[in-house]
Amino acid sequence: MNLVLLRHTWRSQRFKLAIVCLGLAIWSALLPVVYGTFGQTFKSIMDSGLIPQQLMQFGGGDIFSLSGSMALGAIHPISLILNSIFAIGFATSAIAGERQRGTLEVLLARPLSRRTVYGTLLVAVLGFVAIAIAASIVGAVVGAAIAGVAGELVPGRLPLFWLNGVLLFGAIAAVGLAASVSFDRLTPALGLTVGVTVVSYFLEVLGTFWPDAKGLQAYSIFHYFNAKQVLEGQVDAGNFAVLAAVAVVAVGWAVVIFPRRDLAAPS
Amino acid sequence: MSAITTTGLTKLYGHRLPSIRVPGRGAPTVVRALEDLEIEVAEGEIFGFLGPNGAGKSTTIRLLLGLIHPTAGSATVLGLDAVRDSVEIRRRIGYLPGGIALYDNLTGERLLDYVGDLTGRPSSRRAELCDRLELPPATLRRLVRDYSRGMRQKIGIVQALQHDPELAILDEPTEGLDPLMQRAFYLILEELRAAGRTIFFSSHILSEVERVCDRVAIVRRGRLVVVENIEALLARRKRNVEMRVDGPLPRLEGVAGVSNVAANADGRITCQLEGDVGPFLAAIRDTRVVDLTIEPAHLEEAFLELYQDTDEVAS
Repeated sequence: MNLVLLRHTWRSQRFKLAIVCLGLAIWSALLPVVYGTFGQTFKSIMDSGLIPQQLMQFGGGDIFSLSGSMALGAIHPISLILNSIFAIGFATSAIAGERQRGTLEVLLARPLSRRTVYGTLLVAVLGFVAIAIAASIVGAVVGAAIAGVAGELVPGRLPLFWLNGVLLFGAIAAVGLAASVSFDRLTPALGLTVGVTVVSYFLEVLGTFWPDAKGLQAYSIFHYFNAKQVLEGQVDAGNFAVLAAVAVVAVGWAVVIFPRRDLAAPS
Repeated sequence: MSAITTTGLTKLYGHRLPSIRVPGRGAPTVVRALEDLEIEVAEGEIFGFLGPNGAGKSTTIRLLLGLIHPTAGSATVLGLDAVRDSVEIRRRIGYLPGGIALYDNLTGERLLDYVGDLTGRPSSRRAELCDRLELPPATLRRLVRDYSRGMRQKIGIVQALQHDPELAILDEPTEGLDPLMQRAFYLILEELRAAGRTIFFSSHILSEVERVCDRVAIVRRGRLVVVENIEALLARRKRNVEMRVDGPLPRLEGVAGVSNVAANADGRITCQLEGDVGPFLAAIRDTRVVDLTIEPAHLEEAFLELYQDTDEVAS
C-alpha cells in the first residue's frame, strides 16, 4: 500500500464522501421515524389481511419493528444507489477510468508496482464503504432517538450490522475493482459491475415477492445481507463467509490479472 | 555501463488469440508492434529515437518501463531488467508520456507535489525548471484544467525532470511548445547531458533530433532501420547543388559522388553531391561559375532516403 496515493485518493473524494454519508444518514433516519409514527397503524392493516403478506416485506425488511425498518432502509434502492456511488462508481473508475483518461500513465511512471496501486485503491474503497455504512447506522440511531424508539435497539448488535453491510458493499466494490483492472475503458467495467449487481438485487427481491422464485435468492449476493436477523441477535456466520468469499475471489482475480496485463498506449 | 540495452526486443499483439474465424470477420491478425530491436544507449548521451507515427517508438518506451511485456527478447535500463526490476527502474528515471494527460482537478503546484511525493525523491530541480519554462507561481496555483496545451506539456516536462533522474525518457517532448520554449527545452537537455544525465528522446520531428541528439535510431514499421551518429548520418547524405555558369557547361556525368545532374539552357545546373567534394570541384575548375549554392544535408532527407532504401529492400 502506498500512503501518498491513499492520501491523494481520499482527499479527491472527500466532498463526495461527505455528501453520500449525509444522504445515507438522512435516509436511514427516516425509516425508524416512519416506524415510530406509523408502525402500529401499518401492523393493524397487515393483520386485517387487506394486503398480502409478501407486499409488506421488502428484501427482509419491514416497518413493523425497529430492526425491520433499519433493514428496510439498508436494502432499499435509495440506499443501494447511494452506497453504489463508491462501491461501483469509484471502484470501476479507479483503474479503467484513469486508463481511459490517460492519467494512469503518470501514476505508473512512478516506482509503484501494480499490486501496490491496486491494494491502495482497494483499501481506499473499503474505507469509503465502511464510513458510508457507519453513517447510515448513525442516521438510523438518531432517527430511532427522534421517534422515541431507541430503547428497542441493542447497541452491541450494531457492529455486526455494520460488518454485514461492509461485507456486502465491500464484495461489490471488490468485483468493481476487479472489472476495473481488466478493461481499458470505463464503460465495460461499469456495465459488468452494474449488471451483476442489478441481476443479483432483482433475484433477491423477486424471491421476496414470489415464493416460487425463492430458490433463486441463493444466487444473489444480497441474500447474505441479513440486517433484520443480525439486529435481532440471530447471526449466521455462513452469510458473512459467503460475502467474504466473493470479495476474496474478486481480489484474487485482480491480483493475478493486473500485473500481467499489457497497458498499451491510451487510444 | 549502458543506460539502455535491448536484445532482440519484440512485441506482438494478438498472437495469443485462438485462430477461430468469426463469421463476418477475417482471421485474427497479429500486429507486429516491434521486432527484434537491438539498441544500446550510452550513459551521458542524448539518444534520438525517430520514426513516423505507429513505427514502434511508444511501444519500445512502454517495454522499457514495464508497462507492457515483451513477446521475445529483453531490455535492461540502468543495468536493471525491464520486466523484473521495473519498479526500481521507475525510481531512477523520469518519464514524459506522449500526449500527457494530467489530473485536471489539481493545481499545477499540487500535481507536481503529488507526483514528486510518489517518486519519493526530492524535487531538487523543480524551481529552476519552472523558471526556465516560464511557469511562474501564479500559473502553478491555477487548476490544470485551465491550462493550454503548451502549459500542460511544460508541466509534463517538469514532472519528468524535477527529481533530477539519471535517465529521462521523453516521448515527443516538444509537442505543443512554442519555438521559444522549444529552445529553452533544448538548452535544458544540453545542460543535463553536460551533467552526465542520459536522455532517450523519441520524436518524429527531424529537425529537433538533428539539433539536440548525439546519436539516432530510426525505426519503421516496428523494425530498426539504422543507429548512427547524427554527424555521420548527415555526412554521407547527398547535398543539393545548384549553380549558374557563363559559357560551356561542365561535364559532371561520371564524376565521383555526383548524381541526378540536370542542365537548363540558361546555364543553370542542379545535381546532388555525396561524400568528398574534391572530384566535383576538379570537374568545374575550368568553368566560369557565376553562382554556386551547396545546401547542407538535412536529416529529413537522410531519413527519407533511408526509408526509400528499406522500401526497396522490402519490395
